[in-house]
Amino acid sequence: MFEYEKMLQYPVRIKMPNPALAKFIITQYGGPDGELGASLRYLSQRYVMPYPELRALLTDIGTEELGHLEMIGAIVHQLTREMTPEEIKKAGYEGYFVDHTAGIYPTSASGSPWNAAGIGVKGDVISDLTEDMAAEQKARTTYDNILRLSDDPDVNDAIRYLREREVVHFQRFGEGLRNALEKLDQKNFYYSNPAFDT
Amino acid sequence: MDTKTTAADCGYKNGSLPGACAPLAMAYVPMQQSAKPAYAPDEGLSRGTLFPGLDLPFMNMVNTGGLMDTPHCELMALTFAADELELYLDTHPADSEAFAVYQDILKLRAEADKRYTKLYGPVTQSDMLGMSRYAWIDNPWPWDYTANTED
Repeated sequence: MFEYEKMLQYPVRIKMPNPALAKFIITQYGGPDGELGASLRYLSQRYVMPYPELRALLTDIGTEELGHLEMIGAIVHQLTREMTPEEIKKAGYEGYFVDHTAGIYPTSASGSPWNAAGIGVKGDVISDLTEDMAAEQKARTTYDNILRLSDDPDVNDAIRYLREREVVHFQRFGEGLRNALEKLDQKNFYYSNPAFDT
Repeated sequence: MDTKTTAADCGYKNGSLPGACAPLAMAYVPMQQSAKPAYAPDEGLSRGTLFPGLDLPFMNMVNTGGLMDTPHCELMALTFAADELELYLDTHPADSEAFAVYQDILKLRAEADKRYTKLYGPVTQSDMLGMSRYAWIDNPWPWDYTANTED
Protein backbone atom coordinates (compact mmCIF):
# COMPACT_ATOMS: atom_id res chain seq x y z
CA MET A 1 0.00 0.00 0.00
CA PHE A 2 1.00 3.60 -0.23
CA GLU A 3 1.33 6.22 2.45
CA TYR A 4 1.32 9.92 1.62
CA GLU A 5 4.13 12.18 2.82
CA LYS A 6 2.82 15.73 3.12
CA MET A 7 6.00 17.23 1.63
CA LEU A 8 7.45 17.61 -1.88
CA GLN A 9 10.63 15.71 -2.76
CA TYR A 10 12.25 19.02 -3.73
CA PRO A 11 10.95 22.55 -3.09
CA VAL A 12 8.83 24.20 -5.80
CA ARG A 13 8.59 27.94 -5.21
CA ILE A 14 7.74 29.90 -8.34
CA LYS A 15 7.51 33.62 -7.61
CA MET A 16 6.08 34.73 -10.98
CA PRO A 17 2.99 33.01 -12.42
CA ASN A 18 3.46 32.42 -16.16
CA PRO A 19 0.89 30.27 -18.02
CA ALA A 20 3.03 30.36 -21.18
CA LEU A 21 5.50 28.03 -19.44
CA ALA A 22 2.76 25.83 -17.97
CA LYS A 23 1.59 25.15 -21.52
CA PHE A 24 4.57 22.92 -22.27
CA ILE A 25 5.66 21.81 -18.79
CA ILE A 26 2.29 20.01 -18.43
CA THR A 27 3.72 17.41 -20.81
CA GLN A 28 5.77 15.97 -17.94
CA TYR A 29 2.47 15.48 -16.08
CA GLY A 30 0.56 13.63 -18.77
CA GLY A 31 2.73 13.42 -21.90
CA PRO A 32 4.31 10.32 -23.48
CA ASP A 33 7.53 10.56 -21.43
CA GLY A 34 5.99 12.20 -18.37
CA GLU A 35 6.00 11.23 -14.71
CA LEU A 36 2.53 9.63 -14.69
CA GLY A 37 3.58 7.21 -17.41
CA ALA A 38 6.90 6.61 -15.66
CA SER A 39 5.32 5.67 -12.35
CA LEU A 40 2.68 3.42 -13.94
CA ARG A 41 5.25 1.74 -16.19
CA TYR A 42 7.54 0.74 -13.32
CA LEU A 43 4.83 -0.02 -10.78
CA SER A 44 3.06 -2.23 -13.35
CA GLN A 45 6.20 -4.04 -14.48
CA ARG A 46 6.93 -5.17 -10.91
CA TYR A 47 4.48 -8.02 -10.68
CA VAL A 48 6.24 -10.60 -12.82
CA MET A 49 9.83 -9.52 -12.13
CA PRO A 50 11.41 -12.74 -10.89
CA TYR A 51 14.29 -11.23 -8.88
CA PRO A 52 13.78 -9.51 -5.51
CA GLU A 53 16.28 -6.70 -6.14
CA LEU A 54 14.44 -5.76 -9.35
CA ARG A 55 11.09 -5.84 -7.55
CA ALA A 56 12.59 -3.41 -5.03
CA LEU A 57 14.11 -1.18 -7.72
CA LEU A 58 10.88 -0.90 -9.75
CA THR A 59 8.87 -0.24 -6.59
CA ASP A 60 11.26 2.44 -5.33
CA ILE A 61 11.74 4.26 -8.65
CA GLY A 62 8.00 3.96 -9.47
CA THR A 63 7.20 5.51 -6.09
CA GLU A 64 9.73 8.30 -6.59
CA GLU A 65 8.09 9.06 -9.97
CA LEU A 66 4.79 9.66 -8.16
CA GLY A 67 6.65 12.27 -6.11
CA HIS A 68 7.89 13.83 -9.37
CA LEU A 69 4.33 13.84 -10.73
CA GLU A 70 3.37 15.87 -7.67
CA MET A 71 6.27 18.28 -8.27
CA ILE A 72 5.21 18.85 -11.90
CA GLY A 73 1.63 19.38 -10.69
CA ALA A 74 2.96 21.94 -8.20
CA ILE A 75 4.98 23.74 -10.93
CA VAL A 76 1.97 23.97 -13.28
CA HIS A 77 -0.32 24.97 -10.41
CA GLN A 78 2.00 27.76 -9.26
CA LEU A 79 2.57 28.99 -12.83
CA THR A 80 -1.20 29.29 -13.37
CA ARG A 81 -2.29 30.68 -10.00
CA GLU A 82 -4.33 33.92 -9.98
CA MET A 83 -4.50 34.20 -13.78
CA THR A 84 -6.68 36.89 -15.34
CA PRO A 85 -8.47 36.37 -18.68
CA GLU A 86 -6.10 38.93 -20.23
CA GLU A 87 -3.04 37.00 -19.04
CA ILE A 88 -4.55 33.74 -20.32
CA LYS A 89 -5.04 35.25 -23.78
CA LYS A 90 -1.60 36.85 -23.83
CA ALA A 91 0.02 33.51 -22.90
CA GLY A 92 -1.96 31.58 -25.52
CA TYR A 93 -3.37 29.44 -22.70
CA GLU A 94 -7.01 29.60 -23.88
CA GLY A 95 -7.16 26.04 -25.21
CA TYR A 96 -6.18 24.43 -21.92
CA PHE A 97 -8.12 26.99 -19.90
CA VAL A 98 -11.53 26.43 -21.51
CA ASP A 99 -11.21 22.68 -20.97
CA HIS A 100 -9.71 22.62 -17.46
CA THR A 101 -9.75 26.18 -16.04
CA ALA A 102 -6.85 26.24 -13.54
CA GLY A 103 -7.13 22.51 -12.78
CA ILE A 104 -4.24 20.11 -13.40
CA TYR A 105 -5.04 17.57 -16.13
CA PRO A 106 -2.72 14.83 -17.47
CA THR A 107 -2.14 15.83 -21.08
CA SER A 108 0.82 16.23 -23.39
CA ALA A 109 2.06 19.65 -24.49
CA SER A 110 0.62 18.95 -27.93
CA GLY A 111 -2.83 18.31 -26.43
CA SER A 112 -3.19 14.51 -26.34
CA PRO A 113 -4.63 13.29 -23.03
CA TRP A 114 -2.49 10.78 -21.10
CA ASN A 115 -2.45 7.43 -22.87
CA ALA A 116 -1.13 4.05 -21.73
CA ALA A 117 0.03 3.47 -25.31
CA GLY A 118 3.06 5.56 -24.38
CA ILE A 119 4.32 3.00 -21.84
CA GLY A 120 5.43 -0.59 -22.18
CA VAL A 121 4.88 -3.62 -19.95
CA LYS A 122 6.20 -6.55 -21.96
CA GLY A 123 6.50 -9.09 -19.16
CA ASP A 124 10.08 -9.95 -20.15
CA VAL A 125 13.04 -9.08 -17.93
CA ILE A 126 15.40 -7.81 -20.66
CA SER A 127 12.68 -6.05 -22.69
CA ASP A 128 11.23 -4.22 -19.71
CA LEU A 129 14.56 -3.06 -18.29
CA THR A 130 15.73 -1.93 -21.74
CA GLU A 131 12.43 -0.03 -22.11
CA ASP A 132 13.01 1.59 -18.72
CA MET A 133 16.50 2.75 -19.70
CA ALA A 134 15.09 4.29 -22.90
CA ALA A 135 12.22 5.86 -20.94
CA GLU A 136 14.66 7.61 -18.59
CA GLN A 137 16.60 8.98 -21.57
CA LYS A 138 13.41 10.24 -23.24
CA ALA A 139 12.35 12.00 -20.04
CA ARG A 140 15.87 13.47 -19.72
CA THR A 141 15.60 14.83 -23.27
CA THR A 142 12.18 16.33 -22.50
CA TYR A 143 13.67 18.15 -19.50
CA ASP A 144 16.59 19.34 -21.68
CA ASN A 145 14.02 20.76 -24.12
CA ILE A 146 12.09 22.44 -21.29
CA LEU A 147 15.35 24.06 -20.10
CA ARG A 148 15.92 25.35 -23.64
CA LEU A 149 12.52 27.07 -23.64
CA SER A 150 12.14 28.34 -20.07
CA ASP A 151 13.91 31.44 -18.78
CA ASP A 152 12.37 31.40 -15.29
CA PRO A 153 15.08 30.61 -12.70
CA ASP A 154 12.57 29.21 -10.17
CA VAL A 155 11.12 26.80 -12.74
CA ASN A 156 14.53 25.79 -14.07
CA ASP A 157 15.81 25.05 -10.57
CA ALA A 158 13.13 22.37 -10.06
CA ILE A 159 13.40 21.12 -13.68
CA ARG A 160 17.18 20.65 -13.37
CA TYR A 161 16.59 18.58 -10.24
CA LEU A 162 14.02 16.37 -12.01
CA ARG A 163 16.31 15.99 -15.04
CA GLU A 164 19.20 14.80 -12.86
CA ARG A 165 16.95 12.14 -11.30
CA GLU A 166 16.46 10.66 -14.80
CA VAL A 167 20.24 10.29 -15.13
CA VAL A 168 20.45 8.48 -11.77
CA HIS A 169 17.50 6.21 -12.64
CA PHE A 170 19.10 5.30 -15.98
CA GLN A 171 22.21 4.20 -14.11
CA ARG A 172 20.19 2.09 -11.65
CA PHE A 173 18.15 0.37 -14.38
CA GLY A 174 21.40 -0.36 -16.23
CA GLU A 175 22.83 -1.89 -13.06
CA GLY A 176 19.61 -3.81 -12.54
CA LEU A 177 19.97 -5.27 -16.03
CA ARG A 178 23.56 -6.28 -15.30
CA ASN A 179 22.52 -7.94 -12.06
CA ALA A 180 19.77 -9.80 -13.92
CA LEU A 181 22.20 -11.04 -16.59
CA GLU A 182 24.23 -12.84 -13.92
CA LYS A 183 21.21 -15.03 -13.28
CA LEU A 184 20.50 -15.80 -16.95
CA ASP A 185 22.08 -18.43 -19.19
CA GLN A 186 25.60 -17.04 -19.68
CA LYS A 187 25.96 -18.63 -23.11
CA ASN A 188 22.67 -17.17 -24.39
CA PHE A 189 20.82 -14.47 -22.44
CA TYR A 190 17.84 -14.99 -24.72
CA TYR A 191 17.49 -18.71 -24.01
CA SER A 192 14.26 -18.09 -22.07
CA ASN A 193 12.26 -15.41 -20.24
CA PRO A 194 12.61 -15.92 -16.47
CA ALA A 195 9.51 -13.77 -15.94
CA PHE A 196 7.47 -16.53 -17.65
CA ASP A 197 9.45 -19.75 -18.11
CA THR A 198 10.41 -21.46 -14.88
CA MET B 1 41.21 -0.30 -17.83
CA ASP B 2 41.77 0.86 -21.38
CA THR B 3 43.58 -2.24 -22.53
CA LYS B 4 41.73 -3.35 -25.60
CA THR B 5 40.67 -6.96 -25.60
CA THR B 6 40.68 -8.77 -28.91
CA ALA B 7 38.55 -11.48 -30.45
CA ALA B 8 41.34 -13.91 -29.66
CA ASP B 9 41.16 -13.08 -25.90
CA CYS B 10 37.42 -13.38 -25.75
CA GLY B 11 36.60 -16.46 -27.78
CA TYR B 12 34.30 -16.65 -30.75
CA LYS B 13 31.02 -16.25 -28.82
CA ASN B 14 32.02 -13.08 -26.93
CA GLY B 15 32.43 -9.47 -27.90
CA SER B 16 35.45 -7.43 -26.83
CA LEU B 17 35.03 -4.32 -24.70
CA PRO B 18 37.89 -2.15 -23.41
CA GLY B 19 39.46 -4.31 -20.71
CA ALA B 20 36.73 -6.95 -20.68
CA CYS B 21 34.96 -9.59 -22.71
CA ALA B 22 31.19 -9.54 -22.84
CA PRO B 23 28.41 -11.23 -24.75
CA LEU B 24 27.04 -9.29 -27.70
CA ALA B 25 23.49 -7.98 -28.23
CA MET B 26 23.10 -6.55 -24.75
CA ALA B 27 23.05 -3.04 -23.24
CA TYR B 28 25.85 -2.44 -20.74
CA VAL B 29 25.98 0.31 -18.15
CA PRO B 30 29.10 0.30 -15.96
CA MET B 31 28.40 -0.66 -12.33
CA GLN B 32 28.95 2.15 -9.85
CA GLN B 33 31.70 0.67 -7.68
CA SER B 34 31.07 2.48 -4.39
CA ALA B 35 28.66 4.86 -2.65
CA LYS B 36 31.71 7.07 -2.05
CA PRO B 37 32.49 9.81 -2.79
CA ALA B 38 29.16 11.41 -1.95
CA TYR B 39 27.88 14.94 -1.46
CA ALA B 40 26.43 15.98 1.90
CA PRO B 41 22.61 15.48 1.96
CA ASP B 42 21.76 19.16 1.39
CA GLU B 43 24.15 19.52 -1.55
CA GLY B 44 22.89 16.19 -2.93
CA LEU B 45 19.29 17.40 -2.83
CA SER B 46 20.26 20.67 -4.49
CA ARG B 47 22.12 18.83 -7.29
CA GLY B 48 19.62 15.99 -7.67
CA THR B 49 22.07 13.21 -6.77
CA LEU B 50 24.29 12.24 -3.87
CA PHE B 51 26.96 10.97 -6.24
CA PRO B 52 29.42 13.31 -8.03
CA GLY B 53 30.03 10.63 -10.66
CA LEU B 54 26.36 10.74 -11.68
CA ASP B 55 26.08 14.53 -11.52
CA LEU B 56 25.83 15.33 -15.24
CA PRO B 57 24.04 18.68 -15.72
CA PHE B 58 22.63 19.97 -19.03
CA MET B 59 24.98 22.60 -20.53
CA ASN B 60 26.78 22.59 -17.17
CA MET B 61 24.03 24.65 -15.54
CA VAL B 62 23.78 23.68 -11.87
CA ASN B 63 21.52 24.84 -9.08
CA THR B 64 23.51 27.37 -7.12
CA GLY B 65 20.71 29.10 -5.25
CA GLY B 66 21.22 26.81 -2.29
CA LEU B 67 18.51 25.46 -0.06
CA MET B 68 17.20 27.37 2.90
CA ASP B 69 18.58 26.43 6.29
CA THR B 70 15.23 25.41 7.74
CA PRO B 71 13.79 22.32 9.47
CA HIS B 72 11.76 21.77 6.25
CA CYS B 73 14.79 21.69 3.95
CA GLU B 74 16.76 19.65 6.50
CA LEU B 75 14.02 16.99 6.48
CA MET B 76 13.80 17.08 2.66
CA ALA B 77 17.58 16.68 2.32
CA LEU B 78 17.75 13.70 4.70
CA THR B 79 14.71 12.05 3.10
CA PHE B 80 16.36 12.53 -0.29
CA ALA B 81 19.67 11.05 0.93
CA ALA B 82 17.84 8.01 2.33
CA ASP B 83 15.89 7.49 -0.93
CA GLU B 84 19.00 7.94 -3.07
CA LEU B 85 20.94 5.40 -0.98
CA GLU B 86 17.96 3.05 -1.17
CA LEU B 87 18.14 2.98 -4.98
CA TYR B 88 21.91 2.37 -4.74
CA LEU B 89 21.34 -0.48 -2.26
CA ASP B 90 18.68 -2.02 -4.51
CA THR B 91 21.41 -2.72 -7.05
CA HIS B 92 24.22 -3.15 -4.45
CA PRO B 93 22.48 -5.02 -1.59
CA ALA B 94 25.75 -6.50 -0.28
CA ASP B 95 27.54 -3.13 0.13
CA SER B 96 27.76 -3.06 3.93
CA GLU B 97 29.57 0.30 3.98
CA ALA B 98 26.69 1.95 2.08
CA PHE B 99 24.19 0.20 4.36
CA ALA B 100 25.94 1.66 7.43
CA VAL B 101 25.68 5.17 5.92
CA TYR B 102 22.00 4.47 5.14
CA GLN B 103 21.44 3.57 8.82
CA ASP B 104 23.09 6.83 9.96
CA ILE B 105 20.93 8.84 7.55
CA LEU B 106 17.73 7.10 8.71
CA LYS B 107 18.58 8.00 12.29
CA LEU B 108 19.21 11.66 11.44
CA ARG B 109 16.03 11.68 9.35
CA ALA B 110 13.94 10.44 12.27
CA GLU B 111 15.31 13.24 14.46
CA ALA B 112 14.72 15.86 11.73
CA ASP B 113 11.15 14.58 11.31
CA LYS B 114 10.49 15.14 15.04
CA ARG B 115 11.86 18.70 14.87
CA TYR B 116 9.82 19.52 11.75
CA THR B 117 6.49 18.03 12.84
CA LYS B 118 6.65 19.79 16.20
CA LEU B 119 6.80 23.14 14.39
CA TYR B 120 4.74 22.56 11.23
CA GLY B 121 2.50 19.56 11.75
CA PRO B 122 2.43 15.97 10.54
CA VAL B 123 4.13 14.67 7.38
CA THR B 124 2.75 11.14 7.72
CA GLN B 125 0.02 9.43 9.73
CA SER B 126 2.46 8.16 12.34
CA ASP B 127 3.51 11.75 13.10
CA MET B 128 0.00 12.32 14.48
CA LEU B 129 0.46 9.92 17.38
CA GLY B 130 0.13 11.94 20.58
CA MET B 131 -0.83 15.23 18.88
CA SER B 132 -3.35 17.41 20.70
CA ARG B 133 -5.59 18.07 17.67
CA TYR B 134 -6.21 16.87 14.09
CA ALA B 135 -3.61 18.95 12.21
CA TRP B 136 -3.51 16.81 9.04
CA ILE B 137 -5.93 19.12 7.20
CA ASP B 138 -3.96 22.29 7.90
CA ASN B 139 -2.79 24.51 5.04
CA PRO B 140 -0.41 24.88 3.34
CA TRP B 141 -0.36 21.66 1.32
CA PRO B 142 2.91 20.75 -0.43
CA TRP B 143 1.98 22.20 -3.85
CA ASP B 144 1.21 25.65 -2.38
CA TYR B 145 3.83 28.33 -2.99
CA THR B 146 3.82 29.20 0.71
CA ALA B 147 4.52 25.60 1.76
CA ASN B 148 7.95 25.93 0.16
CA THR B 149 8.81 29.43 1.31
CA GLU B 150 7.38 30.26 4.75
CA ASP B 151 9.56 28.42 7.23
